[in-house]
Amino acid sequence: MGTNEIEITLQVNGEEVNADVPVRMHAADFLRHRVGVTGTHVGCEQGVCGNCTIIVDGRAVKSCLMLAAQLEGTQVQTVEGLAAGDQLNELQEAFKRNHALQCGYCTPGFLMLITSLADRPSPPSRDEIREEISGVLCRCTGYEGIIRAAEEYLLKTCVAKNGMEQLP
Amino acid sequence: MNEYVSGNASQRQRKSGSEFIGRSLPRKEDDRLLRGDGRFVDDIDLAHQLEMAVGRCPFPHARIRAIDVSRASEMIGVRHILVGSDVKKLSEPIQVLRPVPGAPPLPYYALAQDVAVHEGQAVVSVVATSRAIAEDAIEQIEIDYEPLPHVVDTLETLSDAAPLLHPDVLESNLLASNIDSNGKPDAIMAEADVVLTGRFRINRVTAFPMEGRAVLASWRPGARELAVQSSTQVPHLVRKQLAESLRLDEGEIRVVASDVGGAFGLKLGAYPEDILACLHAMALRHPVKWVEDRMEHFRASTHGREAVHDFAVAAERTGRITALTNNYTTDLGGWNSSFGSAQLSSVVFTGPYKVADARVKRSVAITNKTPIGAYRGYGQPEVNFALEVLVDRLARQLAIDPYDLRAMNMLKPTDLPWRVPSGAIYDSGDYLQSLKIAADAVDYTGHRARPRTARADGRLVGVGLSSFVERTGYASARFLANRGSQFGAHESVTLRANRSGSIDLYTGVSTFGQGSETAFAQICADVLGVDYEKIHVHAGDTAASPLNTGAFASRTLIAAAGAINKAALLFRERTFKIAAAILEASPADLDIQGDVVVLRSNHARAVSTKEIFRRAILGQGIPASDAPGLEATAFFEPTDAAFSFGTAASVVAVDPETGEFAVERFVMVHDCGKSVNPMLVEGQVRGALVQGLGAALGEELRYDRETGQLLSGSMLDYFVPTAADIPPIELLHTEVLSPVTTFGVRGVGEVGTIPPAAAIANAICDALAEFGVEISELPLTPEAVWRALRAAKTSSSLENQSEKRKTKPYEHAAE
Repeated sequence: MGTNEIEITLQVNGEEVNADVPVRMHAADFLRHRVGVTGTHVGCEQGVCGNCTIIVDGRAVKSCLMLAAQLEGTQVQTVEGLAAGDQLNELQEAFKRNHALQCGYCTPGFLMLITSLADRPSPPSRDEIREEISGVLCRCTGYEGIIRAAEEYLLKTCVAKNGMEQLP
Repeated sequence: MNEYVSGNASQRQRKSGSEFIGRSLPRKEDDRLLRGDGRFVDDIDLAHQLEMAVGRCPFPHARIRAIDVSRASEMIGVRHILVGSDVKKLSEPIQVLRPVPGAPPLPYYALAQDVAVHEGQAVVSVVATSRAIAEDAIEQIEIDYEPLPHVVDTLETLSDAAPLLHPDVLESNLLASNIDSNGKPDAIMAEADVVLTGRFRINRVTAFPMEGRAVLASWRPGARELAVQSSTQVPHLVRKQLAESLRLDEGEIRVVASDVGGAFGLKLGAYPEDILACLHAMALRHPVKWVEDRMEHFRASTHGREAVHDFAVAAERTGRITALTNNYTTDLGGWNSSFGSAQLSSVVFTGPYKVADARVKRSVAITNKTPIGAYRGYGQPEVNFALEVLVDRLARQLAIDPYDLRAMNMLKPTDLPWRVPSGAIYDSGDYLQSLKIAADAVDYTGHRARPRTARADGRLVGVGLSSFVERTGYASARFLANRGSQFGAHESVTLRANRSGSIDLYTGVSTFGQGSETAFAQICADVLGVDYEKIHVHAGDTAASPLNTGAFASRTLIAAAGAINKAALLFRERTFKIAAAILEASPADLDIQGDVVVLRSNHARAVSTKEIFRRAILGQGIPASDAPGLEATAFFEPTDAAFSFGTAASVVAVDPETGEFAVERFVMVHDCGKSVNPMLVEGQVRGALVQGLGAALGEELRYDRETGQLLSGSMLDYFVPTAADIPPIELLHTEVLSPVTTFGVRGVGEVGTIPPAAAIANAICDALAEFGVEISELPLTPEAVWRALRAAKTSSSLENQSEKRKTKPYEHAAE
């Protein structure tokens, strides 16, 4: 592709990545097929289904709507970065406990989106969670397990981050 | 064969008390999926892999006069191009798995031959070094299309004026008709107190799995091995279909479905792109990958549902239903896909009601639209909507409460087993109980007793019911053979001992979210008495599983539970035989407890499974008469289908001016017999309910009559429910064991799709009863309700029936 490529340097889950990428390649394809972190899934490539949601510099974004070139100099978090070794993190455990996943295709998108909500000043209500996560589509679960998992997790993290001792 | 055990292993009782069956154990599938470690087809990139893109017909019906690929073939990176004539030379048409009885085969090649019959039909395919280049090349291929007259309406296509879509095979656009009948419904209707008819239109929708279809094919000519990674729910059946179309021997093909991102019936069999990727791979000796994009998905993956049901019900004034007839037409689209249009409406069209005199006629109509295929429910949601809305109309006409009308006509537990006109047999159940529980849960009587006045927000509140019986699983292969099905009714499993004391479980059932790895391991652990964690499930690889049927028709657990039970009992017998020799005991006196085999009377006398398995694998220290190895394979075929049942109830608040409405409560009472894992059951029912709600309230693949184009074929035009859209859902279960299955299980994967539409439509009609609103079409949008209101107001003023409308509906008929 020669001149149609551009060199980028970024951090993916804390590790530096340097690559030449085609200018028309989107971020999801780059992460999946060049970096090899295939946990980020592509569901529509139109920015609607949200299955490709990742965290870029602390914000949840739909990676099919970003070009790889735009990742230059950023910190990217994907689902692969959540667990510590073999230990699932609290959100992943909440998903497991609440049967928040079936086929698992959309799951990384929800995990990253909910992770990005973890430092809100106060835990969102159930209805706020439903609105917040409506940018990611799931066709298997009917959402109930995902909402429950998000409630459990955000209640803990949002409270913790504000130093509040108050329990439900 | 075995000196220690008398009688057939499968007849032996499994040990009493369930340790794992019935528990909400965490899923085997979760860890890898939560860590982004699933293996979906596009997660695999092979060395020297090439990518395929498909060029599709933009017209609903067109003759292909000429294709010029010269510019595309000269592009850098383009490696191979196939057109229709190549495909005809190199392959056979795709074989239907579940043919329509009496229908001639339509020659469905992987690429259109002279004529394409739907927008999106594959016409050319290109393989290049990247998908982007392959798509660029498609743009450079010149195709000379001659648009032909088209027809997209399900009934219009059967008129004499419609263009013929398969003139070489058929003289009309009717593929076939089938009738199932019992008794004398016509004679009864002629004499009946009341006969009510209704026409119901059910919308065309899509299953919409979050992962579209995908295939990665590699061919090693020297080894004559075609390896196909496929996003399918039926790896063994795809292998069969690929062998037929590609003129290969089944033994030369390996199909692997690792993780599948949802399926719902849409991934039930081979598609044109599967054949194409294989043909390219065989020509190039390079792996070829094709991943469906979402725009293609709306046009190239099978659609679901679309049907028109004409129902007639005859009843006595007391409310007793005496006869039912249902003439319905399913829309096949342009081709007969692997499963074709829905067939199960014919089995359950009498619902949970005791109506002996009944007839159903199914006609299959061909139109210039994407082929219809299996979709969760496969005819049962469609017919439930029609029947249950008609039952409420009958109740209104007879001034009987819809609850009472249902209760009075329902089959009682003592009426079962009950044979329906199709010959299927409802096995067991307590239908009335589910109706009662659902009605109580939404305070049905309270709603009825309240004055029918608008709330402060101007809305009228209605309550609606929908009861159903659902066929899950298939009766025996003998039944399927009568229908010409190209698959069996069985499932199978292989268990294999490991040196560590763990057990491998091999199954051809692929993993697409249904939780079968978990449920299978639970059953296996339970029957054997070993720990759940000790079972490793290996799923979806035709080279590493006994031949099976696959996961569809809510049949997996019904058949697989029997196979796992049988294999586990065989495996246990072999284990006990070795243990008996070590412990100098009789196998009959032994038990497995976790990781040891113990003497029942004295648990101190024990030997570890690790030791037993090690001896078996080495062939050392086992009885001299015994062969080495510890492995058991079993097949199981159910003798009958199991019929699940239940009732949904909804409370809906409707604005009588605008037609806007909100589903304020939705209760589902459901019986799936023995629940192996209640968490999975809830997940299946909820997930299917939300699909059912989506199809009832908004999803629709609409085609423009004039242009034949798909109007809602993108994510911006097709409504898939989000977390913010779903109403509150409450689930309740009853547990009547099925007498025809192992452990009493019934299928549970599809049931949620069945009752939502009718339960909500009936609630809306109830809320708007004073206007005489009738609903006959899906989806149920505010606009549809507004139109129904307008139609009712117009007709009531025309007919000057305002007095009649004011009479209180649902008042109990005097005696």
